[in-house]
Amino acid sequence: MHSTFKYIPIVAVALSSASMNKLYAQQRSIQGKVTDATTGQALAGVSVRVSDQNKSTLTNAKGEFTISTTGKDDPFLEFSFIGYESQQVRASGGSISLALKPSSTDLDEVVVVAYGTSKRSNITGSVSTVSSKAIENRQVSSISKALEGQVPGLQSVASSGQPGTDATIRIRGIGSINASSSPLIVLDGNPYAGDINSINPNDIQSISVLKDAASSALYGSRGANGVIIITTKSGKASGDTKINLNFTQGYSGRAVKDYEQVTTDEYFQLYWEALRNKNLSNGLNAAQAAANASRTLLVDLKKNPYGSQFPQPVGVDGKLVSGAKTLWDDPWKDVLQRTGVRTQGDLSFSGGSEKNTYYISGGYLNDQGVAIESGFKRYNLRANIDSKVKSWLNAGVNLGGSSTFQKYPQSEDSNTANIINFSRLVPSFYPYYERNDDGSYVEENGKRVYDFGAYRPSAASPRNNLAATLPLDKNDIRRENISARAYLEALLTTNLKLKSTYSLDYINSNTHDYENPLLGFSAETFGTVARSSVRTVGQTWNNILTYEKQFGLHHLNVLAGQEYYAFNSSNISGNRSYFVLPGFYEPVAASQLDGFTGSSVDYKLLSFLGRLEYNYDNKYYFSSSLRTDGSSRFSPDKRWGTFWSVGGSWKMKQEDFLKDNNTINQLTLRASYGGQGNDNLGTYFAYQGLYTIANSLGKGGTYTGRLATPDLKWETNLNLNVGVDVSAFQDRVSLTVEYFDRRSKDLLFTMPMAASTGYVGYDANIGAVKNTGIDVDIRTIPVKNDNFKWNLDINFSHYKNKVTSLPDNTKSIISGTKILRVGGSVYDFYMPEWAGVNPENGLPQWYLADKDGNNTGEKTSKYSDAGSFVAGSSLPDIVGGLQNSFTYKNFDLSALLSFSLGGQILDNDYIQLLHNGNNAGRAWSKEILNHWTPENTQTDVPKLTTDATNWTSASTRFLYSGTYARLKNVSFGYSLPGALLKRINIDKIRVFATAENLLTFYGHKGMDPEQTVNGNTYFRYPAMRTISGGVQLVF
Amino acid sequence: MKITKIKLIYILLGLFFVTTSCKDNLDTVPTTSVTEEQIYKDTRGVATVVNGTWKYLNDTYFTYANPGYTAIMRTSDAMGSDVAVTTKYGYRDAYAFTELDNRRSSRVSYFWTLFYKVIDNTNNVIAKVDGVTGDVADKNFLKGQAKALRAFIYLNLASFYQFSYLKDKSAKAVPIYTEPSTLQTKGKPRASLEELYQLIVKDLKDSEVLLATATKVEKYQISIDVVYGLLARTYLQIGEWKLAAEYATKAAAAHSLMSAADYQAGFNDAQNSEWLWGHLQTTEQNTASYTFHYIDVSSSASYYYSFMADPYFKDLFDKDDVRYALFEWDGLKGREGFLRYKKFKMKTNQIGDIVYMRSAEMLLIEAEGYARAGEIEKAVAALNKLRQARNAKLFEGSDNAKLIAEILIERRKELWGEGFALSDIIRTQGKVTRMAFLNDKGEPIQVQVVDEEGKTKLIDGQGHRVIKFSDGSNFVNNSPYYLFAIPNTEYEQNPNL
Repeated sequence: MHSTFKYIPIVAVALSSASMNKLYAQQRSIQGKVTDATTGQALAGVSVRVSDQNKSTLTNAKGEFTISTTGKDDPFLEFSFIGYESQQVRASGGSISLALKPSSTDLDEVVVVAYGTSKRSNITGSVSTVSSKAIENRQVSSISKALEGQVPGLQSVASSGQPGTDATIRIRGIGSINASSSPLIVLDGNPYAGDINSINPNDIQSISVLKDAASSALYGSRGANGVIIITTKSGKASGDTKINLNFTQGYSGRAVKDYEQVTTDEYFQLYWEALRNKNLSNGLNAAQAAANASRTLLVDLKKNPYGSQFPQPVGVDGKLVSGAKTLWDDPWKDVLQRTGVRTQGDLSFSGGSEKNTYYISGGYLNDQGVAIESGFKRYNLRANIDSKVKSWLNAGVNLGGSSTFQKYPQSEDSNTANIINFSRLVPSFYPYYERNDDGSYVEENGKRVYDFGAYRPSAASPRNNLAATLPLDKNDIRRENISARAYLEALLTTNLKLKSTYSLDYINSNTHDYENPLLGFSAETFGTVARSSVRTVGQTWNNILTYEKQFGLHHLNVLAGQEYYAFNSSNISGNRSYFVLPGFYEPVAASQLDGFTGSSVDYKLLSFLGRLEYNYDNKYYFSSSLRTDGSSRFSPDKRWGTFWSVGGSWKMKQEDFLKDNNTINQLTLRASYGGQGNDNLGTYFAYQGLYTIANSLGKGGTYTGRLATPDLKWETNLNLNVGVDVSAFQDRVSLTVEYFDRRSKDLLFTMPMAASTGYVGYDANIGAVKNTGIDVDIRTIPVKNDNFKWNLDINFSHYKNKVTSLPDNTKSIISGTKILRVGGSVYDFYMPEWAGVNPENGLPQWYLADKDGNNTGEKTSKYSDAGSFVAGSSLPDIVGGLQNSFTYKNFDLSALLSFSLGGQILDNDYIQLLHNGNNAGRAWSKEILNHWTPENTQTDVPKLTTDATNWTSASTRFLYSGTYARLKNVSFGYSLPGALLKRINIDKIRVFATAENLLTFYGHKGMDPEQTVNGNTYFRYPAMRTISGGVQLVF
Repeated sequence: MKITKIKLIYILLGLFFVTTSCKDNLDTVPTTSVTEEQIYKDTRGVATVVNGTWKYLNDTYFTYANPGYTAIMRTSDAMGSDVAVTTKYGYRDAYAFTELDNRRSSRVSYFWTLFYKVIDNTNNVIAKVDGVTGDVADKNFLKGQAKALRAFIYLNLASFYQFSYLKDKSAKAVPIYTEPSTLQTKGKPRASLEELYQLIVKDLKDSEVLLATATKVEKYQISIDVVYGLLARTYLQIGEWKLAAEYATKAAAAHSLMSAADYQAGFNDAQNSEWLWGHLQTTEQNTASYTFHYIDVSSSASYYYSFMADPYFKDLFDKDDVRYALFEWDGLKGREGFLRYKKFKMKTNQIGDIVYMRSAEMLLIEAEGYARAGEIEKAVAALNKLRQARNAKLFEGSDNAKLIAEILIERRKELWGEGFALSDIIRTQGKVTRMAFLNDKGEPIQVQVVDEEGKTKLIDGQGHRVIKFSDGSNFVNNSPYYLFAIPNTEYEQNPNL
């Protein structure tokens, strides 16, 4: 469907009266020229369209155009061009020359909205956009990572830095507790079921973020958490084919340094002390305790980096014996981490004629990670073709295909195979190559031998050397994505259109995990291999009828339609072991079958939708939408849900009292309200009582899975949005402020049950959550002259997430270290409160709670007895971004700083480096040097002993501030002068340098501050800093 | 042109309505689950619940250290006197008495989940099997399996979550559920040991009838002999000494003691003549086998080998005892000086069956039951039958107290690593006894080992590293440190507890 359109004051139209020659013929041709109102230069590629007619063209390199029209009235021509204010002109003559005014604000841009496009100023809801410029040449492999700091109200958290991984996105708070809080992704008009990382960011024309009911209720049951609409580039009818070539090459390292560890000398003395203290508590006297500690030190640590001439490197005084010097120091990060290389190349062709336009592109990306054997490769192709088949019929197809290859060694979880965690587990006195007692390398055939450390204590990952095995193993994920959208659009009458769109998103994903038969864990089973194949198909078919008409000062746009969505995912996987010989990787070569399985799921959604938009005299806008969805997730009686919205806006600038005000260029008030839904509660079968299949020993088996919940239904979000858009001082300053209030209803929620019932809970529509907040978007142009332009944009948002009701008689619901309670946020921490180290005996302490859960102020050293208390939320107070861009002559510089203020993170990664001596051989953080001793009693690190004191158990001790700011992207470019280029027939050459995650400002050293939304670390791959150089060629 | 246009519009409008007929197409079915109605149609459906529940109990993977029910047996041994658990991952905190008393520890919640999920499944079978179509014989078999399994779980709960029945049978232990849970089910209060044992005995007596004629029972299923064995264990707990002995005799009758050679075979095969009951493992179903990585201290594939023997435990055996040959001082790098007791060995493909009940245990129950009932002759006969099979010195004399003490030591020797250590300590109201492996000067005792190159050398022997409770106090009888905690989540979600 088409945009609603409005007449705007024509600022600089000069009608060529000389050629004014009124023709009332059925068909005539209009010629003209379009220039830039400020520079007077010709503008090429401006879209010229005859209103209400299916005719459009583009201006050529000289800014000239010719277009034919029908009808006896003078037609209206619409001129639009990115970066300029759109204009509508009545073509009363045969020739028009028009000067377009550069738009310094986005209020006039055409933006993509639900089931169509609309002019920014016509939108009654809340829609933010990100332009291609803000995405191009960002050194990220997934577009989801490029959104951080760019959109007010959008929180993007990249908890993993592994190339190819996606960021988690939340729009306007956390809308759900047990159901998904992720927004719906729409690609080129239809909901997208493919991989986000398969889309080449350089193919993207724009991203629209729909945040309120008026803008997203048309997506009904899927829009409750907001909608992100990604639109890819399309061709322009320009005669010449435009070729765009981009190439970047860069290098990646860690964005922040890892936790600092103690030296080997410190380690040995610390561990001696732990042993001595344990001996004392076992009843030995001081002399025996010290002597035994010296004697058993190496029994526990197993490796002597001081050489065999120091069989007891730490003396009975707890100090290194004189002369003892470490013979080696082998930090494992040296062999497990590297500088990654990142290469990206993109080539696109775009162009077309009046009848057909095309955009064809190909891309290549090779993004190596900082961890060895990790990386992401992508090849992609895109062809977007639009055709005016007949005067009354348009057709088009958008086809995207990609093939990705991700090398994905384990990089989260506490699993011993976690490559990121490994160098935090194993201290540097355990060598990675086998060493003789004197520190020299053991060599076989002149080569060093990897040390698998069978002798290492279990806290230091024995029998494991990822530097040796990973290059021989495979952790491969190969995925092919095909995403096709095809439409037919019939213009039934001048005002009525019918569009039928079919889309298919197909993913074929193959994993290949192989452990080699020679070295490492799988040597005992002579290798293992696991393969899986998953086929995912999402299909959408919709048919939309739109009617648009202007009656005098009344403008009406009505949409009605129907949509059907079918999703299927099926998988098979199997694993085998005992390879026939080394050098074989596929299951066929392994002799023992260890497992084979497969399953599939189906999900279907049928919808009917409608929308009405009306404006009076381009001053008063009203919109309303309605959608009914039937979902296969719920029981036949409960599966239909209805969602709706109403919205309005008042363009005050159009009123007489502001019309002539030169200071204020725009002033619009907007408000909307409506209900959207969410059915994504994690299971596709949410009503029957189910038994999980668990076959055993060759016989069929089942056990209880979920309790029947025949009354379960949608959760609904009631969403209020009130906003104001202001633009002033020749559009040098523009501001959008929005207030929102999102309230959930019938929240999908796991009603907890006592585990002794055999269930942890059941799904129910209970409880309510509220998100209220404010989004602010300020765009300014502080300096603008012929040579120099400075854009300064800032956006930020603040929201308060609050649980407003819980199931009957439930005061609070505790899960792990989190609590849900009325008045709190959905991510409130709940855990024992750290009460410091007892100065008397060096033991850790926590506060006790009374019967009602209140802190008594008394302390205990028994973790099990400690009370649990609410301890703040993981949710930040303010998130936002600051974008600066400067252009000086041919130079351009831009910088995006994103920030997140407030919120807390429970650092579980760090605590494993803070054991009190109970994990012999596990690496130790520098902080442990501050442990309690009879001399150092004022500390919050307890005394060392080999007993578990539980001091690293979850407590407020390990909550750290989540506040940070990150220089997400800096880019500096130089475009070669145009005059020079003209001679070699090139439109543009730009050379640039760009850096991703260049600087990070944060408090808790070692922990990457970008963790999950719920504030838990999980031994994840850290963010990468990538510095690249590149060149862009347009000809 | 106009005609094509109209045609096309009709097509589009047609499509518009065709898709609306998809309305009937919104029913989908899961592929990894079965609906309740399908299950409780006939005995075949109910049989899947019995079989699946067994798998759940045994092969539910929580963590590497908690691979199903075997984790409970390993924990019981780690908290006893005879396993010197090393600092390796898995059971070191249980061994140090810093884990199972901690109601926030994850293992505490895993055990609880495992037990009560099985209880609810057996409750479903017991309540619904009579209403489905099928032969009475099949129904009896299924109900008998479910009742006996439920009794087994409640017996575990009664053994680990409260002190001995003979100490105080009115002590509150854990909640009892006998009906299938529904959306309306609320958490139940803790029941007394007396109530628990009433239910256990009743369930077992019922299955004694229900399973009396069952034939072709697999080793992993509950045969009538297993029911006898469970009754013997139960009666031993509640001081019905004679009944315990008699049921033990019945249970063991058809299962001859293994040969000396079989004793060295690794305790990994349910085919062993002595086994009444066990869990089977295949290359595909092998979660429970992970337990061998802790108790197998001699296979090269064993990853943690953390269940080393207390050096003083070795001194309980005679040199000629077939079991004595299983001891060996470890000379490998990184584990030098620990004492291996090579009772458990994984099979070559790293799996192994799990033993739950053997006739040797039944003989020991028989001996203990008769001894405590005052029938010394019968008791000595049972004890010596086992000792003879193990080539151990026979018991002589008629001192009953000494006899009972010897039987309890024999239980430690014979059942080492089979999950009885802690439950025996609780049951007999005894205490953990552990000594550091030091001489009277407080220095490590030297032992002779053979290193990787085959050289013999003297090094420090390694024994118990935890010889007191974590608060520094000595091990005592009936210490609360011995009991498994009820998880914190249960306290939070069950106000009736």
